[in-house]
Amino acid sequence: VIGFLARHEWRVLTASAVVRLVMVVLSSAVIAATLLGAGRAARDQQTYAAFTQRAAAQRSRPLSFGADVVANEKGWLAIVPPAPLAALAVGQSDVYPSYLKITARNLDSLVTGDQIEHPLALASGHFDPAFVVLFLYPLLIFAVSFDLTATERDRGTLRMVLAQPVRLRDVVAGKMIARGLLLAIPIVVMPPIIGRIPFGAEFGVWTIAVLAYGLIWHGLALIVNARGWSAPANALVLAGIWLMFAIVGPATINLLIAVRYPMPSRVEAAVQARAATQEATVQGSRQLGQFLQDHPTSANVGRDGMRQFALLQAARDRQVADRLERVEAAFDAQLERQRRLADWLSALSPTMVAQEVLLDAAGTSANRFEHFRAAASGFQREWQNYFEPRVLDAATLTGGELAAAPTFVYEREAAAAAVRRLAPSIAGMIVAAALLLWSGFRSYRRYEL
Amino acid sequence: LTIAVKDATETWRDGRFRWAAALLFVLLVAALAGGIQHQSEIARQHADAQRAERDTWLDKGDMNPHAAAHYGAFVFKPVQPLSAIDPGLDPFLGVFVFLEAHKQQLARHRPIEDASPTRRLGLLTPATAALVLLPLLVVSLTFSSFAGERDQGTLRPLLALGVSRGALLAGKALGALLPLIPILLPATIVGGVLLYLSAPADPDAPIAARAAGLLGVYVAHALIWTGLGLTVSARARSQATALVVLLALWFVNAFVMPPVAMAIAKAVTPSPSAIEFAAAIEDETDTWPNWDQRVDAVMERFLDGEFESTFAPANVEVVALLESEAAETALYDRHFDALFDDYERQGRTYERTSVLAPTLAARTLSMALAGTDAAHDRRFAAAAAGYRAQMLTTLNRELAESGRLNTFDYVRGRDLWEKVPPFDYDAPSAARALTATWWSAVVLAAWLAGVSIAAVWGVTSMRLES
Repeated sequence: VIGFLARHEWRVLTASAVVRLVMVVLSSAVIAATLLGAGRAARDQQTYAAFTQRAAAQRSRPLSFGADVVANEKGWLAIVPPAPLAALAVGQSDVYPSYLKITARNLDSLVTGDQIEHPLALASGHFDPAFVVLFLYPLLIFAVSFDLTATERDRGTLRMVLAQPVRLRDVVAGKMIARGLLLAIPIVVMPPIIGRIPFGAEFGVWTIAVLAYGLIWHGLALIVNARGWSAPANALVLAGIWLMFAIVGPATINLLIAVRYPMPSRVEAAVQARAATQEATVQGSRQLGQFLQDHPTSANVGRDGMRQFALLQAARDRQVADRLERVEAAFDAQLERQRRLADWLSALSPTMVAQEVLLDAAGTSANRFEHFRAAASGFQREWQNYFEPRVLDAATLTGGELAAAPTFVYEREAAAAAVRRLAPSIAGMIVAAALLLWSGFRSYRRYEL
Repeated sequence: LTIAVKDATETWRDGRFRWAAALLFVLLVAALAGGIQHQSEIARQHADAQRAERDTWLDKGDMNPHAAAHYGAFVFKPVQPLSAIDPGLDPFLGVFVFLEAHKQQLARHRPIEDASPTRRLGLLTPATAALVLLPLLVVSLTFSSFAGERDQGTLRPLLALGVSRGALLAGKALGALLPLIPILLPATIVGGVLLYLSAPADPDAPIAARAAGLLGVYVAHALIWTGLGLTVSARARSQATALVVLLALWFVNAFVMPPVAMAIAKAVTPSPSAIEFAAAIEDETDTWPNWDQRVDAVMERFLDGEFESTFAPANVEVVALLESEAAETALYDRHFDALFDDYERQGRTYERTSVLAPTLAARTLSMALAGTDAAHDRRFAAAAAGYRAQMLTTLNRELAESGRLNTFDYVRGRDLWEKVPPFDYDAPSAARALTATWWSAVVLAAWLAGVSIAAVWGVTSMRLES
């Protein structure tokens, strides 16, 4: 019966001018957002390809074979390719480094190449499919479902429908299913076709998250409809709910986080790092100065002198790095703690939860960057093991040695790990949606005709 | 006026309005209090850090002046007092610059990098309350002004009473604005007092003019939305249509236009990604002579008699150092200038699109007046680069004038470090901030004039029955 009712409702909906307008708005927004996202991802892919090629070219025609120049001055750029689903969400990819410079030195071994972009672009956000899902999709869900039964009840046609052998619950379920499908189909199906997104575990996670998020809003609409108000009253209440949950809620929670759980200050950390490394830096530069005083020009240093200089430099770097590590570890621990506390607050907003899941699934969240950073860190040790003895020896590399040097290729995080990480959030969204829908259908029992 | 009082009273009696108004008031005050608390905490951190850094610089002990240049200096971005109202781009800009020999860097550690990704969904600030939430309340107050009376069939009887259309418009506008005054006036006063109490008594940073400008922008923006609401209400077929049209306009203004305008700006003026920017600099330095070649070249010039006779052969290295330092500074300045020029062009394109969306113009002006826009950041970056040049010149000149044969064992102490003055940065005046964003100011004024005319036209030409 529900299937029949849903098919009937589908025909009614597709004939309505308002619904057609909603579909036009949704489709054009999804198309525009996907095209913008795909364009951006394509540019990032080009940059990745160009610089991977450039690295290979530089390896085959080095400026110098001096170990120090190759290992430290030039180093190696560990580049991360754009995520396969990058077209779906810009996320944090406009902030976090897309490459890290790797050197054999202890200090500055992972020199960040923080992504640069006009700060206004970061502040304005991006018009990507994630934006359409998070903000426009709920609004349009409300636009098609603020009047599930109110007008039919006021006109008395609902009573006539119920004179047939159907239950009100089934009629409402049919309406919900038709509306759910109507909006879900374009928002799930269009992006992968237009943006040529590979179907895989990540896209599966994305799709489930989108659907669960949509169901939460359908559930909210159902609960409001079940209250038995008039259609304009429903519209007003739903608009208020959207404003509170999608806009004001996240903004207020973010303010709460900023005031209640402020992230540790980078400024204070910089001062602490300066203080912690001061002695080692000053002493180190004094020793290096002493050395340069003994060997005023590089011409009379000789290979032994170069070795001695490299050793002095390495010793200073290690000392500074050791002290720096302690300050940085303390900072990272505090940052992690504050983030966990902040996470608790953001679980209050479905939009915030959905955003984290969508970005992670799209591969543009902090998690992918952390994974890349860990991989680059492992590569740095490899690089250091290979080059450090040669640098300390002030060696000149042979072509063979250079060709045998390690190279970095980013390997994606296993999809299973991402799925496991996101499972609780998605489960939470599904449970929330189920609860809302259940309570909506329950209160429809007391719906007065 | 009778209409205004009647409408205002009705609005006040409406429970939903009172809830919405109370909510907006609470949000405004919370945003203000939170903003001021956050701002003063950051300002304190930066001021403390700058003092600590100065002490570190002075107390670093004796060393070679060039080693001191490598030791470098941190410059922390001073926090503008009005960033409590509109933090603008501050969360997306680095908080300090490290100034050192041979290299120039962009400001590092943007707060957004440490924040959780949900921060990108937006932060409640007094500016967002005024530019995003307030228009929504204005829309809810104006959409039914004429359309509602028409739907109820009271519009024609009202005009039959002899009320002129102009008086009707004025009455409806006042009627929509009056109920807002009991929320906005106290919020403004509370904000002003809090700001006055928390602002540092810095004579270099006069904020009164800027604060007044901010208030003017927010009021003008609210008036534009009142005019829009009345115009749409007069012309719409029904109040439901009026509401939908106005909500769509609001959504586009507040959420769709900013990213779309930026996407257009980036398409018009592409800016390099981090890796491309770094590679462009590296490509140039790769073609430069290395250190030994540089020293040899200067030595040749010395042997050719280019320098004075008192010039010692060992000074050849100092000359090479000064020359390479100058070349590096010029190189970095050129690339940073080009990058900031790109950004400025993107910012201008963004501003141009505000012709389509008044909220963009208001947002641009708000950030400019709060001192938290890209132009202010560029000014700070220029000040930091200038300070770096000054520091290096002071240290290098000392090397050059030491007259020592071997400059590497030349060690100086605190007296030289004191010759490098402490970093001081003053934000430009409100007038300067406004001239940089004249386009937005003109657009905002044009919108205000435009919607006023449109409202008059809408009321004179409106249909009286639905």
